[in-house]
Amino acid sequence: MNAVYALYDNPAAVQRAVDGLRAAGVTDADIQVMSSEPFEEYEFGHKDSASWIHWIAGVGGIVGLASAYFLTTVTQQSWPLRTSGMPIVAPWPNLIVMFELTMLGAILATVLTLFVSAKLPRRLPPLYDTDVSNGYILVGVQRPSGQPLVDVTAALEAVGEGRVKQIDR
Amino acid sequence: MNRTRNNPLADDLVRPLLHTSVWFYGAVLVLASIVACGAAAWGYQLWYGMGVAGVNWPVFWGFYETNFVFWIGISHAGTLISAILRLVNARWRRPVTRCAEVITAFALMIGAIFPIIHLGKPWLFFWVAPYPSARELWPNFRSPLVWDFFAINTYLIGSLLFLILPMIPDFALIRDRTTGLRQRIYGTLALGWQGTTTQWHRLEAAMQIMAVAIIPVAVSVHTIVSFDFSMAHVPMWHSTIFGPYFVAGAIFSGIAALIIAMAALRRMLNLHAYLHPLHFDNLAKLLLLMSLLWGYFVFSERLTVWYGNQPSEMAVFWATQRGAFAPFYWTMVFCNFIVPVSVLSFRRLRTLPGIVLVSCGVLVGMWFERFLIIVPGLSTKQLPYSWGTYTPQPPEIVIMVATFAAMALLYTLFSKFVPIISIWEMKVGNQPHPPLPADEAEEQQSLWRARP
Amino acid sequence: MAHRWGMVVDLDKCTGCEACVTACHAENNIPTAGAVEAGRGRAMHWLRVERYWEGDFPDVKVKFKPVMCQHCDNAPCEAVCPTYASHQTDEGLNAQVYNRCIGTRYCANACSYNVRFFNFFNPQWEKPLHLQLNPDVSVREVGVMEKCTFCVQRIKSGKTAAKADGRELQDGDIQPACVQSCPAGAIIFGDLNDPESRAARLTHSPRGTKLLEDEGTEPKVTYLQRQSWNEPDTQ
Repeated sequence: MNAVYALYDNPAAVQRAVDGLRAAGVTDADIQVMSSEPFEEYEFGHKDSASWIHWIAGVGGIVGLASAYFLTTVTQQSWPLRTSGMPIVAPWPNLIVMFELTMLGAILATVLTLFVSAKLPRRLPPLYDTDVSNGYILVGVQRPSGQPLVDVTAALEAVGEGRVKQIDR
Repeated sequence: MNRTRNNPLADDLVRPLLHTSVWFYGAVLVLASIVACGAAAWGYQLWYGMGVAGVNWPVFWGFYETNFVFWIGISHAGTLISAILRLVNARWRRPVTRCAEVITAFALMIGAIFPIIHLGKPWLFFWVAPYPSARELWPNFRSPLVWDFFAINTYLIGSLLFLILPMIPDFALIRDRTTGLRQRIYGTLALGWQGTTTQWHRLEAAMQIMAVAIIPVAVSVHTIVSFDFSMAHVPMWHSTIFGPYFVAGAIFSGIAALIIAMAALRRMLNLHAYLHPLHFDNLAKLLLLMSLLWGYFVFSERLTVWYGNQPSEMAVFWATQRGAFAPFYWTMVFCNFIVPVSVLSFRRLRTLPGIVLVSCGVLVGMWFERFLIIVPGLSTKQLPYSWGTYTPQPPEIVIMVATFAAMALLYTLFSKFVPIISIWEMKVGNQPHPPLPADEAEEQQSLWRARP
Repeated sequence: MAHRWGMVVDLDKCTGCEACVTACHAENNIPTAGAVEAGRGRAMHWLRVERYWEGDFPDVKVKFKPVMCQHCDNAPCEAVCPTYASHQTDEGLNAQVYNRCIGTRYCANACSYNVRFFNFFNPQWEKPLHLQLNPDVSVREVGVMEKCTFCVQRIKSGKTAAKADGRELQDGDIQPACVQSCPAGAIIFGDLNDPESRAARLTHSPRGTKLLEDEGTEPKVTYLQRQSWNEPDTQ
């Protein structure tokens, strides 16, 4: 595996680098941009946005609701004990448990989606530079070893600023 | 190193983690020994029985439940406020959110200990959890205490995740800036965070959804805590207003706790450049609003009881209004309404020391409020023959003091090991943004200039 | 048909002698708290005789009211228990399962009559009083709630004895300790589902009232008293 990356100190340069890589024929999926803060106002900051997370949260909520419904009704019927003249399956109190588990389901589904789709937790991959934490923005391309990265290097250097580095491993 | 923008910021906020003063060890030692006293008091109670506490027939609930409600109330400072500020995208929230969320996490943990301490058989507290006993009997889902279990745990899990998720990028930053053991520990905590655009996107999307989900949960938690009381036929407990009344009170006391915590952090960690008068001023306005709301709820509650004129409720009403509990009642009104409204309404009086002083008063007042809801109702129930009284005993007082020390201890330790202000969110805040409207900009400017 | 146990207390007969209280303590192994702890509100009386005064001295009228668990149909104490330690049995008893109780004391707060008691300490009996403990009744440990059971052990043994004799249970076969010991015969116990039982007939007496009836708890204990008590004396 080998990779080329460049470190820039301003997002405008990053945008030019990303556009240059695209022009050189690198697909969006292969371009990796790393930073110590999100850049919402630049186009490159949006390239991996996804709107489907909300739906997974909703599904998690429905799963929570359903499990709460079964938890309350089944357990109340499995050993029916009368209290305070209430019905054996008491709908009003059960609604409270259902609400809480709906919310818990949605929250857990969201966090699970975050971890799975952001590939966390993992070992820190080789394509990284600690200078990212010093405020630099990393633009890199990673390819299986053997494949040439000349075009990538050229595109990154064409931006005119930043430091281009190489990883051969 | 410092060639790139925003590095002074990261340096400032990481510094407390790398350099430890003597004061830190001293504070930890003092606070930890107070907490140990509390643990010893609980051990004493476990050994001799609940009788060493002041609770009795008919006042079966006392200080422990007061503290339970109080601490759960304090927990409403953090996640709720931070979630609302996130959703409305208030720019000034950035340095505030994490200090607030930490309060939630710790206050909830402390609050949730009290229902265990107050049990007759605390070693069996897990019988409330939803699992079948050896005879296939599940807990009673009609009991408000089981609702508490679900509500508090949902809120605790949600708040912890809400707190921890935005900490991951900061851990990654510390990982890259440290060496040796620190690097290994923070590297593990960072979970291999690189800061790719995908990761940032997923994190922000997740935080957005969590913010939406956590607000109704927070409201439900204190509503359900209020149900512990309003479900029972105790005079002045059995009230429909309790849900919103408790939630308003919780947010009220929560903001006060947040202001005190922020003032302490600002002084001790030298965060004058990050927590500036604008934040305190905004929070003080929120505190004023909640004070007015609280006054409205108390008035509604009192008026309906007085107008209804039921003998059993009037006994409690007069006991608080001009009887044995009157000194606490009027202290509460003074601290929660008269002082906040008369001080915070005036910009001239809304100074940092003034705001902090008012907040301390609000904490006292809100503690009395919880006490006055629980105890007078129990001591004058329907049958006059069974009227009684309540005097707190040493274990209850020591445990209560210990929980305040526990809060301070946990907060001190947290701010020692985690940047108390979210570094990456501050960086986003420093990105160029559209200019403010003229009047708002002027106000912000004047507050900046007023900075001591 | 299932039994539905109930009680009637005739306040016009009650002399306030507290024999029922003593009998209840002896029958049910209720620990005594001692003077100091009783002063701190730790005394336990499953059955207590409440005293109320009316009028000014010397023209004083004293009312006695024996109050025990009312075994409500809609008992507020039951639903609030997280572990079902407090629940309604098929025979209408408000049961308290000591082994399932974790001591939240919520039931005691919810009870409008304050007839539930908490074991603040482990119970102790000074020697030789431990020898008089009733073997039919379990001794409750520290941290659990307890209250009047309508002497459930006597109900059980009464039913068992009737079954052993091969006969139907008769009204009056079962007598809780308070009923048995009342010299005035002011307390009557029986099956409310048996229309012929004394308790069932007296429950419908025009003299009958329920304690705190407007709470909606539907108690199974009825108090009988002259309804003109508060009217001016005509003599």
